[in-house]
Amino acid sequence: MNGARYPQWAYAAALASLPLLTHARLRRLIAHDKPSVVWNMLQEKDRPLPGFKEDTWRVWCNVPQSMLIETAELCIDSNIIVTTNRDRLYPVVLHADPQAPAVIFSQGNLEVLHQRRVGVVGTRTATQAGRHFARTLGESLANAEVCVVSGLARGIDFESHVGVFRATAEQAAPPAAIVASGLNKVYPPEHHELWRRIASEGVLISEAPPNAPAETHRFPLRNRILASLSEVLVVVESRARGGSMITVREAMKRDITVMAVPGAPNVSSCEGTNLLLRDGCAPVLDVDDVFVALGLDTRRENRAIETRQMPTGEERAVLEVLAGVPRSIDEVALLAGCNVVNMAVLLGRLEAKEWVSHVDGWWEALLH
Amino acid sequence: MYAAITSATLLGTTGVAITVEAHVGNGLPGFTVVGLPDEGCRESRDRVRAAMLSSGLEWPNRRITINLAGAGERRGGAALDLAIAVGVLVAHEILTPESVQGLSFIAELGLDGSLRPTAGMAPLVAAVHHSTPVVAHGAVRESLLARPEKLRAVNSLAQLVQVLQGDAPWPDVDMSDVAIDNDIVPDLADVRGQASARLALEVAAAGMHHLLMVGPPGAGKSMLARRMPGLLPRLTDEEAFACAMVRSAAGVPLHAGVVSSPPFRSPHHTMSMAAMVGGGSGHIRPGELTLATNGVLFLDEMGEFAPTVLDALRQPLEEGVVHIARAHGSVVMPAKSLLVAATNPCPCGGGGPGGCACQLPVKQKYFRRFSGPLLDRFDLRITLTRPTTAELTSSEPGECSAVVAERVRTVRELSLARQGCVNSAIPADVLDEVAPLSEEAMSTLRSRLDNGRLSGRGYHRIRRVARTLADMHGHAHVIDARWVEVALSLRATFNAADGTFR
Repeated sequence: MNGARYPQWAYAAALASLPLLTHARLRRLIAHDKPSVVWNMLQEKDRPLPGFKEDTWRVWCNVPQSMLIETAELCIDSNIIVTTNRDRLYPVVLHADPQAPAVIFSQGNLEVLHQRRVGVVGTRTATQAGRHFARTLGESLANAEVCVVSGLARGIDFESHVGVFRATAEQAAPPAAIVASGLNKVYPPEHHELWRRIASEGVLISEAPPNAPAETHRFPLRNRILASLSEVLVVVESRARGGSMITVREAMKRDITVMAVPGAPNVSSCEGTNLLLRDGCAPVLDVDDVFVALGLDTRRENRAIETRQMPTGEERAVLEVLAGVPRSIDEVALLAGCNVVNMAVLLGRLEAKEWVSHVDGWWEALLH
Repeated sequence: MYAAITSATLLGTTGVAITVEAHVGNGLPGFTVVGLPDEGCRESRDRVRAAMLSSGLEWPNRRITINLAGAGERRGGAALDLAIAVGVLVAHEILTPESVQGLSFIAELGLDGSLRPTAGMAPLVAAVHHSTPVVAHGAVRESLLARPEKLRAVNSLAQLVQVLQGDAPWPDVDMSDVAIDNDIVPDLADVRGQASARLALEVAAAGMHHLLMVGPPGAGKSMLARRMPGLLPRLTDEEAFACAMVRSAAGVPLHAGVVSSPPFRSPHHTMSMAAMVGGGSGHIRPGELTLATNGVLFLDEMGEFAPTVLDALRQPLEEGVVHIARAHGSVVMPAKSLLVAATNPCPCGGGGPGGCACQLPVKQKYFRRFSGPLLDRFDLRITLTRPTTAELTSSEPGECSAVVAERVRTVRELSLARQGCVNSAIPADVLDEVAPLSEEAMSTLRSRLDNGRLSGRGYHRIRRVARTLADMHGHAHVIDARWVEVALSLRATFNAADGTFR
C-alpha cells in the first residue's frame, strides 16, 4: 500500500498541483506523511485527514492518477527541481517561517541561498533615476558577494538583476529570483532572457507548479517568500500602494530589516518609499548603508565602477539642478539660468554620456 | 423650341462651365433631365415648376427635355435651377434667345420663385468669367471673390423675367472689390513658460515642419497650436482669395470675408475619412485637409482618430495635393498645410514624473495607434509637461506673435531664395549642397545612427530641421553640431518596448 512507484518529488509536485490548494493546506498534507502516502490516500478515496473539509477532500479524491505523471514530466522537461520541506536542499531560512511553502519548484542551484541575501524590490513604473539606482545597487551587492533576491517584475526588480549581471568581481554573487507563475511560464514575456540567465547562473524559485499562469493572486503570495528569503529588504521606489508595499508588510511581520531609498517629494512612484522613511525605516543613500545593515565591511572596494565619461563644468551645473528631482527642460533652463537652446545641447551631450535620461518629457540625473 | 443656357457646376474645389440645353416639343406632357444629373439636380424639376407657377409664368403643358451638355461626368447641384428655368422660358418662347445672350445663370430657386445662393458661388462664378453671371442678391458678396468683370444680381425669377423682357433695368450691384481683413488670432504672448515648446512652434512655422506634441492634459497643447497661425507668414492676396474659394466650395460660411491670416482647422476626432481628405458620393467636396491649405491642420487627441483617417494623410502631406478618384472621375485638390497634432502620452494622461500608472500592455496598445510611417511625417516631436508654478508666475512675459512671425518670415525668405522651397521640402539629393554638416555635426549624427536611436529616414529630417534652426539663428552655410543636437532633442520617439516617449 505504501509502495511508491515514482520518486517522492513527483508525488510532492502532484500534491502541489491540486486544485483548491492553499499554502496552509499543502503544509498540512506534507506534514502528515510522505507525499506518496498522502497521494495514495487520495487515489484510494480514504476518509479525509482531520482538519480538511469533506468537499475539498472529495475534489482532491477525484484528481486522476495521470496528473502525477503529467506534472512529473513537465518538471523533467523544464529541468525543474521539486523540493519539500522534508528535503535536505530545502532553504533553511524557510523552516522558521510559519507561512513557508511546503513544496518549492526551482531551476538552478538552491545553494545560492546560502550566501548573504538582500531583497531588492520596487515599483514596475519607476523613474529613470530609480532604475539606475537599482542597477547600481544590484551590481555593487553582487560584487560584494551578496545575493540579490528579487521578483523579476518589470521596473526595479528587473533592473536590480540586470545590475547583478554587470558585476565584474571574480566572486560575484549569483542572484535569486522568486517568481509567481509556474517556472515554464515566463512572465513578463520580455524578461525571457534574464529569466533564462538567472535559471542557469543563479536560482529561480516558485511556489506554483509548472504551467501555472501568472494570476493576480499569486503575486502577493510570491512576495511573502521573497520577504522571507531576504535578510534585509531594500525598497528602491514604491507607490503608496502596490506589490512592494505588500512585500514590506510581509518583511515587517517577520522582523526583517526594511530599508528605503529616499525619492523626490513630487514623484508619485516614490510616495511609498518616502512614507516608509517617515515611519522610521532606515534610508539607503548608497550601497554602504546596506553593507552596514548586513554587518559587512564597508571598506572593501566593491562598488560599481564608474565607467562613464566625466561631465564638464557646465554639464555638472545642469546635473546639480537635476539631482534628485525629475524636471522638464524648461524648468532646468529656468533654474540653470540659460536659454532652452543651450540647455537642449547640454542635455543632449549629458544623455550621450549616460548621465541623464528622459521619459515623457521629464529629465532625471543618473548619479551614483 | 430649343435653348442653350450657360451655367456652372462644381468639381472638387473648382467650377466647370456647362451648357444647359432645353427643348420644349410635342408629345406627352412631361419633364425629364438627362446628361448624368445628380440627385439634387433631379429634384430641381419640381423646384423649377413650382417657382415658375408661383411667379405667374405659364408652365408649358408639353414635353420638356433638359440636357446637361458635355456628358461623361456626373454633375448637378441646385445651382443649375435658374439655368433650367431660363432654358424652359426661352424654349417656350416667353423669352427671346437674344435676351439671354452673353449671360450665365447660377442660383437655386425657391418654390416661391425667389433666388438663393448655393455652396461654392465663388468657384462657380469663376468658371463662367467670360460671360456675365446672374446670381441671387444674397450671393453677391461671395461671387465677388471670383473677381468677375461684370455681375448681375436679382431677387426673384419674376424680376429676372421682367428685366430680360426689357420692362425693367438690371438692379444695381455693388462691385467694389472685396477687402482683405486681418483676422484676430490668439497671441503667443499669452503663453507663460513653455520655452522649449515655443522654440518648436517657431521652427515648425519657419520651415513648415509638421509638429507632434505629446503631453498630459493641461500642458497647453491646444493653446500652443491655436497660436500657430499667428506665427505663419500672412497670406498673399492670391493665397487669401484661393483660400476663400476653397471655403466657398466647401460651403463653409465666410463670415469674416477674405482674411489674410492662415486658416486654422481643428476637426473633431470622430471625423470620417471623406471629411478629412475630401470626397462624398456623387459630388466630391473638399475635406479638412484642403480647407487647411496654406494654414494649419490641428489634430487634437490624435490617438482617438480612426487609424484609416490618419493614414490617409500620409500621401497628401508628401505631395501637397490630394487626388480623389471615383468611378465617375477624379479631382485634384490642394492639400498643402502644416500639420500640428497633439496627444496624451498614455491613456491615463500621465502627469508628473513617474505619474503614469498604466499597465505596459495598455500603453503599448495605445502606441500602436500611431503608425510608424505617419509618425515619420512629423519632423518635430516634442514632449510637453505641465508648467510649474515658477514658470507660470515668472514675471517675464513671453515674446508676442509679431516678433516671432517676423523671424519666421526672414527664414522663409532666406530658404526660398536659397533652394526655392521651404526647408522641410528640401529634396534629399540637394541636402549636401544646401545643408552641409560640419565634421563634428556629422559625427554626432553618425553616433546616433550607430546606436539605433535614429533611422535612415530620420537622418534627412534631422538635417532639414537643423537647417531651419541654423537659419533662425543667423548661422552660416555649414551647420555645426549644436543645431544637430537641438534638432535631435526636438525629435522624440515612441518606445514600444517599455511604453515610453523619449
